[in-house]
Amino acid sequence: MATTANGLAALEGHVPDEEKPGFKTGNHAGQVRTCETTGLPVCLTAQRFIRLNAVAAVVFLLIGGVAALLLALTRWPTVHLLPADWYYRVLTAHGLNMLILWIIFMEIAILYFAGTTLLNTRLASKGTAWVAFGLMVAGALAINGAVWSGKADVMMTSYVPLQAHWSFYLGIILFAVGALIAVINFLATLYIAKRDKTYAGSVPLVVFGATAAAIIAVVTLLHGAVVMIPTFLWSLGLTEAPDAAWYRLVWWGLGHQSQQVNVCAMVSVWYLLGTLTTGAKPLNQAVCRGAFVLYILFINLASAHHLLVDPGVGAGWKIWNTSYAMYLAVLASMIHGFTVPASIEVAMRKKGHNKGLFGWLFAAPWKNPGFSAFFLSLVIFGFLGGITGVTLGTQQINIIAHNTLRIPGHFHTTVVGGTSLAFMGLAYYVVPLIFQKEYPAKALARLQPFVFAGGITVMAIAMSFAGSYGVPRRHWDINFTGAQFSAGFDSTAHLMMGLVGIGGTIAFVGLLIFLLLTVAAVFFGRSNAGKKMEAW
Amino acid sequence: MTQPNEPKAADVIQSEHEKDEGSHRTPGTLVLALILLLSFAVYYFANWKALADTWPVR
Repeated sequence: MATTANGLAALEGHVPDEEKPGFKTGNHAGQVRTCETTGLPVCLTAQRFIRLNAVAAVVFLLIGGVAALLLALTRWPTVHLLPADWYYRVLTAHGLNMLILWIIFMEIAILYFAGTTLLNTRLASKGTAWVAFGLMVAGALAINGAVWSGKADVMMTSYVPLQAHWSFYLGIILFAVGALIAVINFLATLYIAKRDKTYAGSVPLVVFGATAAAIIAVVTLLHGAVVMIPTFLWSLGLTEAPDAAWYRLVWWGLGHQSQQVNVCAMVSVWYLLGTLTTGAKPLNQAVCRGAFVLYILFINLASAHHLLVDPGVGAGWKIWNTSYAMYLAVLASMIHGFTVPASIEVAMRKKGHNKGLFGWLFAAPWKNPGFSAFFLSLVIFGFLGGITGVTLGTQQINIIAHNTLRIPGHFHTTVVGGTSLAFMGLAYYVVPLIFQKEYPAKALARLQPFVFAGGITVMAIAMSFAGSYGVPRRHWDINFTGAQFSAGFDSTAHLMMGLVGIGGTIAFVGLLIFLLLTVAAVFFGRSNAGKKMEAW
Repeated sequence: MTQPNEPKAADVIQSEHEKDEGSHRTPGTLVLALILLLSFAVYYFANWKALADTWPVR
């Protein structure tokens, strides 16, 4: 087959070279290097933007992580660290930095990687990538400036009629427009790869998943524009306040769908890390790709579960969206939840790890933080996030859980124990392969996913139990200090809130280890340029 | 990539469309999936029970 100059091994067989799937001659015009470890062609322009977006992601992860620790130590009644105004300020900052800024910067890095490296093509437009990155950084700074200066204590949802400073809404708009431009740059990259025939056959599954994430991102960001532009004009005093019910409905088209982009990107990262760490191949292309299509078609409807106690929409609408359509997206997650570990099992059994039912799992490369982070992410997302999510998304059950701490208990297992942990696992390959720097203190790096996963699991389960006792979410003081009547929760709820604080602190330690090691590797790590990365 | 003689990721990705002739038995994953479904059934039932206890239908 026609390959690039990267020396990829030719495939054997009777199929004519030009008809075989895989890499063909790239269109890099010399701006490419071959990764010594993976054999993949790395576009140098894309590499720069993967690095920039990854660094920005880690910066906002640090801000959001510090905020997380402050929140955990405030909700722990014995500590109760922050005063009320700062609690809600830090909660706003935590949500936006973690759920939006850290994850979307990382997702743009993933799109640039998948679009170029896996398709052996150049990035469509360097200038557009600069514009996108500049807008995203400007927006992120505006958001943080507004929040930390106390001009936007409206929490992540910023429900109307709560009003923040105009710079807060402008920041979200700038960030969303920047992300949209980056997504369009990714889609244009897919186009030129197809046009220039840089690959043959279908795109790899990871690229297919990233494309599904990009499609959902376009819909998500358009929702953001629809809801944020009138709200921005209102904050300037130019228009009347948007209708509160309309705002809630459309805002969740941004707020929840952005988390569905995360799910799609996370699943793509699972497949990629499965290949990088164990050599696993997807078991069935049609089934895996079909599951991604289910995400595109149905996952957006899951946004409706945020409005399950909202009086503005009817029961029929709620039940259709959350108890029928949403299950088709859940089906997609269940398919991936099976095919990903199954592909690992097949790969490990091929290597001779056939002992009993779980010999392959015990023999898996658990000392490789790329693997342990990915597999723990899979387990936490599926067993804790999936089971609680489907249950809480049932309209009738939701009535006993809505606005309690059970809800954050659920989504900390999906977006933190799931997505963030998977992205950390990815970083253990991005830094050596794209930054071409080795991680220091590898023993600590091997431990990190377990510390972070353990802390998040304890915290999320404790949140769920506390919520079952009626402890509300987004609440500064569950003792209701100074109330005119007797209020508060019993000792079991307090025990659970203590575990929330302890679990959150352990997770923060795991996060801190990740951040310190990653910063040390990027800025002071030993270069592996021209060499294979050191084995984990 | 954990073993020096394993195929490179590029080779794996390049050939992911090809059908493998080897066995695709995944009994361990099947058991994990059954544990997941059982856990879901227990949790789902417990929540309906909690709802029924909170608002009994008379």
